[in-house]
Amino acid sequence: MAVPGLAQEKAAVKPGFSMPTGKPVRILVFRPDVKVGSQSAGGVVTPNAEWTANARKNLADALVAAKPGGASEVVFMTDLEGENATLLNEYRSLFKGVATTVLQHRLFKGDRLPTKVTGFEYTLGPGVAKLGELGGGDYGLFVVTNDAYGDSGRKALQIFGLLMAGATGFGGMVSSGVHAGYAGLIDLKTGDLVWLNADLKMGGDVREIDGASKRVSQLLEEFPGGTSGGVHFLPTTK
Amino acid sequence: MNRWAALLAAGAVASASASTSGAAGPVPVGSPAVAGYQPVGVDEQGLWGEMAEAERALKVSKLLVRDEELTSYLRKVLCRVASADACQTVRILIVRDPQFNAGMTPNGMLLINSGLLLRVRSEAELAAILGHELSHFERRHSLARLKAARSATGWAAFLGAAGAGPLGLALIGNFFSFSQEQEREADLDGLKGMRAAGYRSRSAGDIWANLRAEMDATAAARNVRSRKDKRGMFDTHPATAERLAYLRSSTVDDPEGEAGEAAFRAAISPLWPMLIDDQVKLNDFGGSEYLLAGLATSGWTGPLLYARGELYRYRGQAGDFEKAAGFYREAIAKPDAPAGAWRGLGLALARTGDGAAAKASIDEYLKRNPQASDKAMLAMISGGSQ
Amino acid sequence: MNKLLLGLAFAGLAAPPLSAKWKLLPETMPVAVAKSAMKVMPGQGWNSWSFRPGKKSELWSYDGPVLNQIEFIGGVVDGEPFAKERNKKDKPLPKFNSKMLPTDIAQAYEQTQRIVTRSPDFTIDSMEPVTFAAHPGVKFTFHFTRPDEELTRKGEARGAIIGGKLYMITYTAAALHYFDAHLAQAQAIMDSAKVD
Repeated sequence: MAVPGLAQEKAAVKPGFSMPTGKPVRILVFRPDVKVGSQSAGGVVTPNAEWTANARKNLADALVAAKPGGASEVVFMTDLEGENATLLNEYRSLFKGVATTVLQHRLFKGDRLPTKVTGFEYTLGPGVAKLGELGGGDYGLFVVTNDAYGDSGRKALQIFGLLMAGATGFGGMVSSGVHAGYAGLIDLKTGDLVWLNADLKMGGDVREIDGASKRVSQLLEEFPGGTSGGVHFLPTTK
Repeated sequence: MNRWAALLAAGAVASASASTSGAAGPVPVGSPAVAGYQPVGVDEQGLWGEMAEAERALKVSKLLVRDEELTSYLRKVLCRVASADACQTVRILIVRDPQFNAGMTPNGMLLINSGLLLRVRSEAELAAILGHELSHFERRHSLARLKAARSATGWAAFLGAAGAGPLGLALIGNFFSFSQEQEREADLDGLKGMRAAGYRSRSAGDIWANLRAEMDATAAARNVRSRKDKRGMFDTHPATAERLAYLRSSTVDDPEGEAGEAAFRAAISPLWPMLIDDQVKLNDFGGSEYLLAGLATSGWTGPLLYARGELYRYRGQAGDFEKAAGFYREAIAKPDAPAGAWRGLGLALARTGDGAAAKASIDEYLKRNPQASDKAMLAMISGGSQ
Repeated sequence: MNKLLLGLAFAGLAAPPLSAKWKLLPETMPVAVAKSAMKVMPGQGWNSWSFRPGKKSELWSYDGPVLNQIEFIGGVVDGEPFAKERNKKDKPLPKFNSKMLPTDIAQAYEQTQRIVTRSPDFTIDSMEPVTFAAHPGVKFTFHFTRPDEELTRKGEARGAIIGGKLYMITYTAAALHYFDAHLAQAQAIMDSAKVD
């Protein structure tokens, strides 16, 4: 669906925001939305439980190790029940809506709102503080990854697609699997979205420990650092 | 019956050529509907893992009907047609969706639309549907569909899956339809379960006869051709006529059996106001009339007459307001008339130009429902009608 | 643009052409909306979409249409639906009639939304008389949840029948935070409505 010539920015930080320094900061991670599967030649994705479980664990470990933005601690939201589970579900839906909005109408120039050319005023609202209380965190991190690894049939089709593209101008549309992800950070006091990063073509094989670590570093690209150093956490390799 | 009878991974909408991954490894055998069952092989494990995540989200959905009594009734009926194991392992969720539909996920979550509960007329019909869905689970029909989808021949069938699912599951996975053979197999399994439980097996066919008649009624009121024999390009379900035919022929020699109409009504009727309201607001005059008449086979109650008044008033064609007023008046004459009948009567009369009578009826409504959320608006209409 | 967003990006909206663009509205100059006789004062921060969701409607948003939107319905005449009718045969929408009572307008709007957005829980929460564009009209509030999103939205609508035609403005936004955040601005826009 990409429109050639219309650039897409991948990440944004709320202007003026930096992670607090000089006090411990806890990042609360909401259960990451992790999907890993294989993709057949025709594009059918078969979910893979083992890969998904491995990726879930590897990504969680890498997030904890990464200590984004110099956080003192990375913790995961416990499973909630009853009303609290419903509340989290509502905020999850709202986050999706906000993330979609930022990607579509802020970062994507082709559909950007004229009022959103500068600045980064998006929020889940102060009501989200309840989630911070429930999980014990200063900032909330939402993480979504979706991977599908092409099987041999898929790879054959890719080559075929490239050949066809040369011959007809069609084809060439067979992507090499799916490797997409996005992540966003919420200030759990104000509800403000302070950082969002999304990429449809991510690297790092999430099924492996090293790969997941690389993926996390890409997911956390342009993650706001602390003021002291002004240093962006993590490398920006692509 | 299940447009969304199973769910798959995101992006799973097309297929071609054989796949390598997932094809190898152990092949699951026996029923997965047993306590503590662990999925076997890459494909089944993948489906179950994906569905476990989906179930997490679905369980807290705002669009579920959370009615413990009704759910335990559905479970009771399921357990009559299911093995003790299946009875324990299958989870039943009622989805608020006015369309006729039910579905079964590969890991044993049975979804029932509220619109199905409005259309089913007896416990035997319900048993047919629950048994049918259970069969999809026990026979691992979605697993077979996944495998078929990865082969070239399954391509078109799988495309039929595209389309929004309920409750955000569309974002998590895509729904896809079962094959005609699988639907038939599930139908016949459903009959077996019904017979063993002593249910009236002929009721299974009645569901489809009813649905066809409803589609005729919908079409007649809209002055369009009935969809009852229409099959979409990618629709793999047996046509309703075919389905009706084999269900009828396989049950022709069965003993009568228990229909359980009264038991079904007793269990569902507390939900009727919501179910009927959701239906009447769909702008499907003919279908709604048909359904109301079906619910009124043992007599028009206050709530049913009220709903019929609403239906005519919403349509608002020539003569409809007079007819609506008639139904509201009949409702008001019943001991179980809902307060809304006075509101409806007043608003219908206001449209016919009978201001004084409209005012009297609206005032009566506001007396009966002083907290009405639209009281200020109604008071003005009432005042303007003098 | 991106598969991740498909199904979410155009929530509540018709599939727009890729050429659809957003245009900044002037803050203090009345603008005509929905190619109709209705004019409103936009106030600060609203964007208008070049893609009109229906022949007689226009859509504005503050942050993006998933989070908040204002829809203008201008000059609907007898026999016309309240929204674009995508499937006339199988999903016909209720039609406007100039003899409708204020309650009938709210009712038809509810039915339209139930059909178009497939939200089974659409509920009108309140209804009262209001002066709209200097004419007696109706104000009602509502909420609904689309099954493909699970994002509950709240809304407020005002409208009136003027010269036999329906004019209406509806504001809908995510129930959490967003609805309240821009309600006053949306109400100011509704208050500013004029129909010549």
